[in-house]
Amino acid sequence: MSILDGLLQGFAVALTVHNVAWCFVGVFLGTIIGILPGLGPAATIALLLPLTYDMEPTGGIIMLAGIYYGAKYGGSTTSILLNMPGEASSVATCIDGYQMAKAGRAGPALGIAAIASFIAGTIGVLALTLIAPPIAAFALSFSSPEYFALMCLGLSLVVLLGGDSMVKGLLSLFVGLWLAGIGTDIFTAQSRFTFGTPALLDGLDFMVIAIGVFAISEVLATAEERGQARAIPVPRGIRNLLPSLAELKACRFAFLNGSVVGFIVGVLPGAGSSIASFIAYGIEKAVSRHPERFGNGAPEGVAAPEGANNADSGGALVPLLTLGIPGGGTTAILLSALIVWGIRPGPLMITESPDVFWGLVASMYIGNVILLILNLPLVPLFAQLLRVPVWLLLPIVLGISLVGAYAVSGSLLDVWLLAGFGLLGYLMNRLGFPAAPLILGFVLGDGMERAIRQSLMMSQGDLSILVSRPISATMLGLSLLILALPLLRWRRTRQATALGE
Amino acid sequence: MRRMPLIGLLSVSLVALATPALAEFKPTKPIELVVHGAPGSGPDTFGRAIVDALDKENLLPVRVQINNKTGGSGQTAMSYVVENAGDDHMLAVFTMLWLSNPLTVKEANATIHEMTPVARLVLEPALIVTKADSPYETLQDFIDAAKEKPGQLKQSGGSITARDNIMRQILMAETDTDWVFISFPGGGERLAALLGGHVDLLMMEPQEVGEQVRAGSVRVLAQVNDKRLPEYADVPTLKEAGFDVPNVPQGRGLVAPPTMSEDAVAYYVDVLRRMSETPTWKAFLDRNQMDQAFAGPEDTKAFFDSFVADMRVVLTAAGVEIIR
Repeated sequence: MSILDGLLQGFAVALTVHNVAWCFVGVFLGTIIGILPGLGPAATIALLLPLTYDMEPTGGIIMLAGIYYGAKYGGSTTSILLNMPGEASSVATCIDGYQMAKAGRAGPALGIAAIASFIAGTIGVLALTLIAPPIAAFALSFSSPEYFALMCLGLSLVVLLGGDSMVKGLLSLFVGLWLAGIGTDIFTAQSRFTFGTPALLDGLDFMVIAIGVFAISEVLATAEERGQARAIPVPRGIRNLLPSLAELKACRFAFLNGSVVGFIVGVLPGAGSSIASFIAYGIEKAVSRHPERFGNGAPEGVAAPEGANNADSGGALVPLLTLGIPGGGTTAILLSALIVWGIRPGPLMITESPDVFWGLVASMYIGNVILLILNLPLVPLFAQLLRVPVWLLLPIVLGISLVGAYAVSGSLLDVWLLAGFGLLGYLMNRLGFPAAPLILGFVLGDGMERAIRQSLMMSQGDLSILVSRPISATMLGLSLLILALPLLRWRRTRQATALGE
Repeated sequence: MRRMPLIGLLSVSLVALATPALAEFKPTKPIELVVHGAPGSGPDTFGRAIVDALDKENLLPVRVQINNKTGGSGQTAMSYVVENAGDDHMLAVFTMLWLSNPLTVKEANATIHEMTPVARLVLEPALIVTKADSPYETLQDFIDAAKEKPGQLKQSGGSITARDNIMRQILMAETDTDWVFISFPGGGERLAALLGGHVDLLMMEPQEVGEQVRAGSVRVLAQVNDKRLPEYADVPTLKEAGFDVPNVPQGRGLVAPPTMSEDAVAYYVDVLRRMSETPTWKAFLDRNQMDQAFAGPEDTKAFFDSFVADMRVVLTAAGVEIIR
């Protein structure tokens, strides 16, 4: 069966009234849980799974997948408005999204996030439609050395996220890397930095750290500026509710960059969507002609990571649907859902259950359109949230953050940790330490350590495994280049000033 | 409303009249089922299957609520169960992690041996597989190759305290060979490492790897089970393949808090025994290719003890530090 036949057949399945309805239910629920921090798509799908046992499989998977990619849309809302990441994948969006909101451009930031999500989400599905089997084969050629190189590429971005002082950026990064080391080491079954606390055996939760250093520290900083009635100006007039043409034009490359990076990283079972969004953000800043605007409310800084985390869901479905290999928690649950319905997810699924595969793929085109229609009109509505006076807004943010942290694993320790990280974030902010490198280090640290140890076990301790494999060598070279970038730029500006004189 | 307790009392006394002698236990409030994984994880899915079967088959007069006590690689849930000593309305799903963790983890100060064993419900067989285009046609081929190139062949798997590494240690000791074990946290990554040709061997539950077998992308060398699984009738068990080693079991079932009353234990054992025979439960086992392996409290305790004793020997041989 050709791809076109399959897709047409898929649309025939997905466009039935009840499947469109299930798609709507899924993406709607996804948007909501995306907005709420703490409750992630994985937990939601697991909780809803028993209700879908008796559903027809195509409708069921269409709905559950809708929750999965719908959550990526919703995640940006609180990142932009409150500096509070709703999902792990939308942390990078906080960096410029919240700055845009502070400059009175909350509406355009939300609009750009929605448009970037739509474009990249659709490109991700398009890639899933066209090149799923070959790209799955490519994903298998990725192993530990390649993952290590990918994480190095991610870490090298610190020079771009670091702000003014490279020393402070690196310190922040190292704290993040150390935090990632807390927990049980899978290779030796020994615990590290747990200080005898059993609750730390699984390590720290990403959301607790992210909400702490972003949202709580912001609440503290805002509370300190008591004199002002409102921290964030309320957008007024239609021009401040939608992105301008110039802003959209500036984001052209970011949309594409986010789509490609998100999809490729999504396909790799060992990566994750927060890595995708950070890498897309870093690349965007690296190639930008105005890197100084990043971190101060650059629209590209919203478009790239938001695009990446949406294209990522299309990518993550590639190994799941073509090989039966789940890349992360949410796709693992989708896999178990398919088994419950009697579908056998694996290399034979596309030929044996074409209705389910193509129906799902087609529904994702529809879902992305629904999400855009659903989210764009919500922009003005959400922007009005900023009308809430500070004395009321701050306690609400604090409350949602606490509940979100508690919801992660139902443990009070997480709430204390949240408070601790909030304080840490506040102090870092006061002393001029950027928070983004800390998060980056935490996201990459664990996987990076694992990948290098796995690589060395594969090669019996020979480090040359990292450079003798072409993909890994290329990425390591690229990270060296990024590390050298500030140096090159510095030389160029020096030459320019010298010439000017 | 004030009449309610009276009616309750009346019905209790009626039940007492109907079943003489034994002061029988009946749950009077919702039962809390503790699982150590997040919603959607292995233990959680298993717990929800139990709830589903009890519900559909109407085996309990009260509801069962899942409580996901995640974190601490199972330790948070275990401590919680131990803290609730004497609670007759609490059960918990155990996996082999509950047995192996306290052996190597210093912080694991609540152990399964303090809890009340209730029932083992299933045993999971495993398949030893290699990539379809690998040169190894039998497990013996692989062992021979490992003997020729000591320390160079690779197996992907989970934590070093997990069953796949224990089986590797036993096989290596039995055949005097040595190959590398590389830990990957997720099952998908372990499988991807094999399919991509980055490792040579993988041991996995049939549910996880079955589709790859059917698609012909992996070759099954042996099965870790006492008898051949119907779906893999042409694959030898370890013993049949010429390796006279114990099959390290992977079991799941339920335990209760310490000092649960004997009546309550007897009640739950009876309910679970009946549940394990229902079509709903059997359909779950079929779907997940698990073996029906119901065992009462005494047998479950014996199962724990023998597993831990074996683990001690194997882990010590592997050079892992045993804490307790």
